[in-house]
Amino acid sequence: MMGYSFNHFDPMDLMVETFTLENYVKFFSDEYYRKVFISTLGVAALCTVFALVLGFPVAYFLAKTQSRYKSLFIVLLVFPLMVGNVVRAAGWMVILGNVGVVNATLMWLGITDEPIKFMYTPFAVIVGTTAVVMPYMILTLQSVLEGIDFSVEEAAQNLGATFATTFRRVVLPIAAPGVAAGTMLVFILCMNAYATPVLLGGTGLTMMAPSLYDQIAKASNWPFGAAMALVLIVTTLLLATLSNWLIHRNYVKTMGA
Amino acid sequence: MSKVSINKLKKQFGDAVALEDFSLEIADGELVAFLGPSGCGKTTTLRMIAGFIEPTAGSIHIGETDVTNLPVHKRNTGMVFQRYALFPHMTVAQNVSFGLEMHNVSGKERDSRIATALDMVRMTSFRDRYPRQLSGGQQQRVAIARALAIQPKVFLLDEPLSNLDAKLRVEVREEIRSLQQNLGLTTVFVTHDQEEALAISDRMAIMYNGRVQQIGSPKELYDSPSNHFVADFLGRMSFFKGNLVANGRFVSEAGTNIQVASGQKVGRIGIRPERINVGAHPESDNVFDGWVESAAYLGSLIDIRLRLQGGDILNLHVPNNASSANTAIAPGSPLVASFRSSDCVLFAE
Repeated sequence: MMGYSFNHFDPMDLMVETFTLENYVKFFSDEYYRKVFISTLGVAALCTVFALVLGFPVAYFLAKTQSRYKSLFIVLLVFPLMVGNVVRAAGWMVILGNVGVVNATLMWLGITDEPIKFMYTPFAVIVGTTAVVMPYMILTLQSVLEGIDFSVEEAAQNLGATFATTFRRVVLPIAAPGVAAGTMLVFILCMNAYATPVLLGGTGLTMMAPSLYDQIAKASNWPFGAAMALVLIVTTLLLATLSNWLIHRNYVKTMGA
Repeated sequence: MSKVSINKLKKQFGDAVALEDFSLEIADGELVAFLGPSGCGKTTTLRMIAGFIEPTAGSIHIGETDVTNLPVHKRNTGMVFQRYALFPHMTVAQNVSFGLEMHNVSGKERDSRIATALDMVRMTSFRDRYPRQLSGGQQQRVAIARALAIQPKVFLLDEPLSNLDAKLRVEVREEIRSLQQNLGLTTVFVTHDQEEALAISDRMAIMYNGRVQQIGSPKELYDSPSNHFVADFLGRMSFFKGNLVANGRFVSEAGTNIQVASGQKVGRIGIRPERINVGAHPESDNVFDGWVESAAYLGSLIDIRLRLQGGDILNLHVPNNASSANTAIAPGSPLVASFRSSDCVLFAE
C-alpha cells in the first residue's frame, strides 16, 4: 500500500507505476482534504474526551460495586459490541432523525415547533461514535480501577481527605497509566471509524476513513486512497507514540513494577 | 489522645447480624486488642470506629465528642491497614506529608513533623524511596508513621502484622507497643493471632459470632476464661463434660473422677496442658494413669495426648528440659499425669 501511494493516477490507465509525491502534495494542499483531516482529528479527540468523562464514573462504579448484578452490568456493557456498527447507527437514526424520538419528544413538549436537524451533522457523528467506543473505554478503565487496593482510598480519607481530594490526589494519579491506555485505544478507534461517520455524518461531515474508501472503491484512485490511508495510519501511530512517551515520562518512574 | 466510649453498638448487613450489643470504654492511653476468628465482628467494629461503616444502632464517642455520624475524614483517627495501603505514587516523605497537608499543617511545622514521624519508626534514611522499593516491614513502619504524624485521637490497627513473616512480626509488634506506651496512644488493635494479642495488649476483647465473649487483661482471660469458647479459643485446654456429684468432686461422662475447687453449677471443667505434671506430683490431688496416644515434638516442649482409663483425653505439655530430655515418650507407652484441683477451670455448661 505504501508503494501504491507513490504511484501516479491516470483516469484511463488507473494506476501508473512510478515514484511521485503528488498524492501527498494533493492531500495537504487541497483545502477539502485538509478539512477532512482536521475534522477527523477533532471528532476523534472530542469523542475520546466524552467517552473518558462519561465512562470514568461508570467504570469506577463497576470496579467498586459489591452488587451481585455486577456481571449483568458488564454483559449489558459488552452487549452493544455484538451488534454491528451499522445496526447501531441505524438505531441512532431512529432516535435522531427528523421524525425521530428526540424530535418527537421535543415537539410534544412544545420546546420546538419544527424538528431540529440532528442527522448528518457533526453532532450526530460525535454522539454515535462516542457510543460505539464507550464500552472499550469503560472496560479498560474498570480493569485498571479494580486493580487499585481500595484501602489506599480509605487511608486517604482516614488522613483527612474528602472524596474529591482522594479522587484527585490518589485515585487519578494511580489510574493514570490505565486512563492513558484507554484513551489511546479509543482515540485510535475514533480516528478509524467508518460506518458511523458514513451513516450519521452523510455529506454533513466527512471523515478520513469514509473519504479514502470513496477514493479507492468509487473513484478507483488507488494511489490517492493509499496515500490517505498512510496519512491516517502514520498520524494515529505518531499520536499514540507521543502519548505513550508522555505517560512513561510522567508516571512510569513512580508506577513501574 | 482521648478515651473512646462505645455504647451498645450494633451492625446488621441485611438480615445478617455482624455485631450486637458491643459496649466498651477504652481509657486514655490504653491498648485494647480485639481478638477472634474471622467473621467475629472485630474488623467491623474497628471500621465503625474509623467511620468506614455506619452502625445500625448504638453510639461511639471519641473524647467527649459523639462521632457516630461523623464522616471518616473528620474523625481524626490514625489507621494502619493490613496491606499497608501506602500511596504508590508518592515517596515515603510524601506519604507522611499527605495527612499533614489535609490538616493544613504547612512549612517548617510540616517538615519537622514528617522528620519526627519517620525518625520514630527509624525510616528517615528512606524518605525519598517509593513504597515498592521497600520491604513489607518497612512499608508497615511508614504506614505507622503516616498515621501518627497527624496526631490522631485514636490509633487503629487492622491486623497490621499479618502480612509479615514470623520474626518481623514480633519485631514490629514490639515497636508498636513501645511507641504506643511512649506516646500514650489510645489504641485499638485487631488481630486473629492470640499470641500477638496476649503480648501487646492492656486488655483484650474476645469476640465470636458478633458478640463479645469476655473483656479483660490477658492474664484474666487466659487464667479465668468465663466460658467454653474463650477457654478453647485462647491457648489449649482439655475439657471434660460431666457433673458435680459432691462438693469438690466431679465425674465426667466417661467416668473419670476429678477433684475440683468448690463450685455451684458445673457442667464442664477444663485444665491447661502446662498445668499438668508428668508423674504423681506431691501437691497434685488428681493423679491419673494413661497411655500416650500421640506425642508431637514442638522443640521447646512435647505436646502429648494422653488417653485415660475411661476414654477421656488429657492434653499435656512436657517441657523439653534436662530432666525430660532422656525420657522416651512414644505412642502406646504408659504415663502418669497429675494436676491440682485448684488449677481446674469450672464452666456452667
